Amino acid sequence: MNTPLVVFENVAKHFGDFVAVKELNLAINAGEFIAIMGPSGCGKTTTLRMLAGLDQPSRGSIYIGEQLMNDVRPHQRDTPLVWQSLALFPFLNARENVEFGLKMRNQDAQIRRSKAMEWLERLGVAEFAERNVDTLSGGQRQRVALARSLVTEPQLLLLDEPLSALDAHLVIRMQSVLTQLQRELGITFVYVTHSQSEAFAMADRVVVMSNGEIAQAGVPRDIYREPANRFVAEFVGRNNIISGTANTVDEKSIQVKAPMGTFDVPTKTNTPDTDKKFSAGDMVTFVIAADLVQVTRTKPKTENSVECSLISEEFVGSMVTLFLETADGTEFKVQLQERELSTLDHTTEGAFYLSWQSDSAHVLHG
Amino acid sequence: MTSRDPLTHQVANKPTRKLFDSFALSWRLPIIVWQTLFFLGPLIFMVAMSFFLVKNYRMQEAFEFVNWSKMFSRNYFWDSYFLTFTLATLSTAIASLLAFPASFALAFKVSPAVRRWALFLLIIPFFTSYLVRIFSWYVILAESGALNALLDTFGLGPYTMLNTKFGTLVGYMTLTLPLVVVLQTFALSNIDRNLVQAAHNLGCSPFRSIYAVIMPLAKTGLIVAALFCFILSFGDFVSPYYLGGSKPPTLPILIIDTTKSGQQWPRAAVVAVVMMVTLITIAFAALALAYRTRASR
Repeated sequence: MNTPLVVFENVAKHFGDFVAVKELNLAINAGEFIAIMGPSGCGKTTTLRMLAGLDQPSRGSIYIGEQLMNDVRPHQRDTPLVWQSLALFPFLNARENVEFGLKMRNQDAQIRRSKAMEWLERLGVAEFAERNVDTLSGGQRQRVALARSLVTEPQLLLLDEPLSALDAHLVIRMQSVLTQLQRELGITFVYVTHSQSEAFAMADRVVVMSNGEIAQAGVPRDIYREPANRFVAEFVGRNNIISGTANTVDEKSIQVKAPMGTFDVPTKTNTPDTDKKFSAGDMVTFVIAADLVQVTRTKPKTENSVECSLISEEFVGSMVTLFLETADGTEFKVQLQERELSTLDHTTEGAFYLSWQSDSAHVLHG
Repeated sequence: MTSRDPLTHQVANKPTRKLFDSFALSWRLPIIVWQTLFFLGPLIFMVAMSFFLVKNYRMQEAFEFVNWSKMFSRNYFWDSYFLTFTLATLSTAIASLLAFPASFALAFKVSPAVRRWALFLLIIPFFTSYLVRIFSWYVILAESGALNALLDTFGLGPYTMLNTKFGTLVGYMTLTLPLVVVLQTFALSNIDRNLVQAAHNLGCSPFRSIYAVIMPLAKTGLIVAALFCFILSFGDFVSPYYLGGSKPPTLPILIIDTTKSGQQWPRAAVVAVVMMVTLITIAFAALALAYRTRASR
């Protein structure tokens, strides 16, 4: 195991009475593309700003490459940040913006210019080098901002929701630009976003934050399929969350009795260090992802099924989400391919039956 | 019956536009009338007067260049011009430099509440007469005044400060410094803080960021503040007269002297027109510099 590039050790950040980061322990490996994701106010941007030295931690230590960074001033670090607002200097043209970091390192004008042009070329905006940055489009400005951050060849690049101002089709294009760059350069990207699609599309590892703490950290698939707790289950994807009491518990599964039925749930969880053992009579919450639920008009013979009525449907291109409700008022979401819907006779009145494989369900802790 | 356009089915509605124009004009009219009567009119009259003649202490309408050639051939006129220009330039430089640290602190280092109070306190000097403020400097700057008494305790002085160029500049600062601080503070407060932090993030030290980022971002406001300082100093009569001793005279004092000696209003008009042309040139140059954006292909 190689030593991590960045380490947060019991880091907290308070702004007066407001606790932005409560208790953060996180190690980021060299060459990793890590996404920090969470709703606004969860502490993700503060975490990034502490890495850049723009905010000082109230407690704890931050190491970059084994050096304690707590008292290192922002301009003495090599942690360029791609700002949400891009923060391009309006009094400089595109090339001069890119040269800025090299100029601050007192590099020769000739070298500055050629390096800046090299990066503008690499990001495909060399033709706009002498243009005023205010006259560039959002995507072009984005690329200039990236070039400006990368021109000093840092080990660590920080990105604060850089794509949030772009059109949807540009976001997709910039995502592939970013992942390709990260792979080619082999440097560490720390990417802060509120968008799970951006995080899942690009990151090797996703850290979900909530109220200044890490709710879950893991590879995108684990975050998506095996959420650790109710917060992640609700924040990520479309999950149906069911609570009940444990009837019987054995090595492999728990039988949960909920108001709308009795279900078998595997005991495997995604929080190995806090692996909680359930016993009969305990309160158990589990999730079943909306896309792992089958919906039929005839009562299925399998276990783990519930009877519902259809409330509404939401059509987003190839995917359709059905919103259903059980007799006791619990809401269920089912996600299916649009072409699957056409084989389901969903327009006539009557009951719908939802069912799923036992091992599709996933137990939550907390 | 209103006619309808067969293609767009819109009602032809031509008179509305005209009505609106006269409505807008009625709002603009007072300022146009005011400026014509009390600014443009006297200005034209002043230029015309610079070509008049004075005979037997009476002014006669004429169109002669004699006033211009007389004034331009006199050394005292050019001495006065360069003195005034130099003092106003010095005043602008000193006021801008003295004001900047204060404005910087007010814009970046204090809470908004402190900033509001400070701006309020900076406006208070304008409540009292400028003349009163200038006379109060006598007590401080006089040979036996407060400042020399203080210097005496260190074994220094006494220094002559009244009736010197130093005295004039102290007077100019009294007039301009609060205004320059207010204008600079507004300019610096409007800077996007993210841009300053972005500069730090890219390796720019806080000190270097002042001229690498903050001054370019606040350029327009800083130049406008300096321009106001120059205009006020260049045209000020009170400070050079009461604190500067009026010898050698600055241009405003020269105007007074010229009118007093032999009713030479036309020659005073020459001085006034020269001042006007100088200020207009400086103002245009400064504003062009302030609002210059880089050429873009």
